[in-house]
Amino acid sequence: MAQNNQGIQHLLQAEKKASEKVAEARKRKQRRLKQAKEEAQAEIERIHKEKDANFRAVESATLGDKDKMAAQIDLETRRKLHEMDILVGNNKEGVVQQLLSLVYNIKPEMHPNARPEKLGA
Amino acid sequence: MGSKVEAVDVNKQIKHMMAFIEQEANEKVEEIDAKAEEEFNIEKGRLVHQQRIKIQEYYDKRLKQVNLQKKIQNSNLQNQARLKVLKAREDHVYGVVEEARRRLGQITSDPQRYGPVLQALIVQGLFQLLEPVVTVRCRQADLSLVQSILDSAVRQYKEATKGMNVQIKIDDTFLPANVCGGVEMHTKGNRIKIVNTLESRLDLLAGQMLPEIRTSLFGRNMNRKFDD
Repeated sequence: MAQNNQGIQHLLQAEKKASEKVAEARKRKQRRLKQAKEEAQAEIERIHKEKDANFRAVESATLGDKDKMAAQIDLETRRKLHEMDILVGNNKEGVVQQLLSLVYNIKPEMHPNARPEKLGA
Repeated sequence: MGSKVEAVDVNKQIKHMMAFIEQEANEKVEEIDAKAEEEFNIEKGRLVHQQRIKIQEYYDKRLKQVNLQKKIQNSNLQNQARLKVLKAREDHVYGVVEEARRRLGQITSDPQRYGPVLQALIVQGLFQLLEPVVTVRCRQADLSLVQSILDSAVRQYKEATKGMNVQIKIDDTFLPANVCGGVEMHTKGNRIKIVNTLESRLDLLAGQMLPEIRTSLFGRNMNRKFDD
């Protein structure tokens, strides 16, 4: 029965090879899962960089035109002040005259509740 | 002869079994590989999705802050501008009152107009004091003019009070020269004093008339809701 022995040897070898293949596959699977973490990390980094660049662009656009806004407001203010100067220039004399005439125009009045008869001169 | 056939049979069987073992293993390996790929995709997708959300939230928040900062910036600029305009307004009003103050004394060079003014100032003071003896203090330059209108003043007072008499004395001390015009009056030995100079009148009037001054200078303020 030498063939039996040989046969069994062959079978044992085949089993061994088979389980090695399976074990190898399992190891591959573990490595693949680790790869998932690594690739995910790389993808996340990429997304982060992208969003950050976008954000910075928007940020500098939004805050960057402070000078423009300031200049705009300044122009508007100057216009208002100039208008005011003209207005006052036209009206000032009249108001001064009005004030002076009020100062000079005195109407002496007795107190409405005063009763001179009761004061006894 | 029998053992030869058996031998071939056994070999065949063994070959079959070996093939079977190998096939099973291959199938198992395929399964494992497929599962590995599936789990790889799921895990990677999950991790990326999770972080993507966080990143989005983070930048949304920062964007909000930036917009807020900009609003504050703008508001500050606007505020400063408004304050500038308001200050200019007040400066103009002050300038007008100052101009009036400068010209206050002009009337004193015209006795025709100044006389009645002095008289009215004195009578007004008399009405406030309602005393039998009153001292009037004027500028040295106005002395003769004051003396000339004193009688009319007393008469005006008597008429209005239905008969009350008053004795007016003119003070030895005069108002200082930097006073534009008008009088001070006191009684009961300086215990009651009335200041009726042109300056004091202007100050009083200017203070009371500020709304009208503003309206006359700048026109009616369309933003204002309450005028009383």
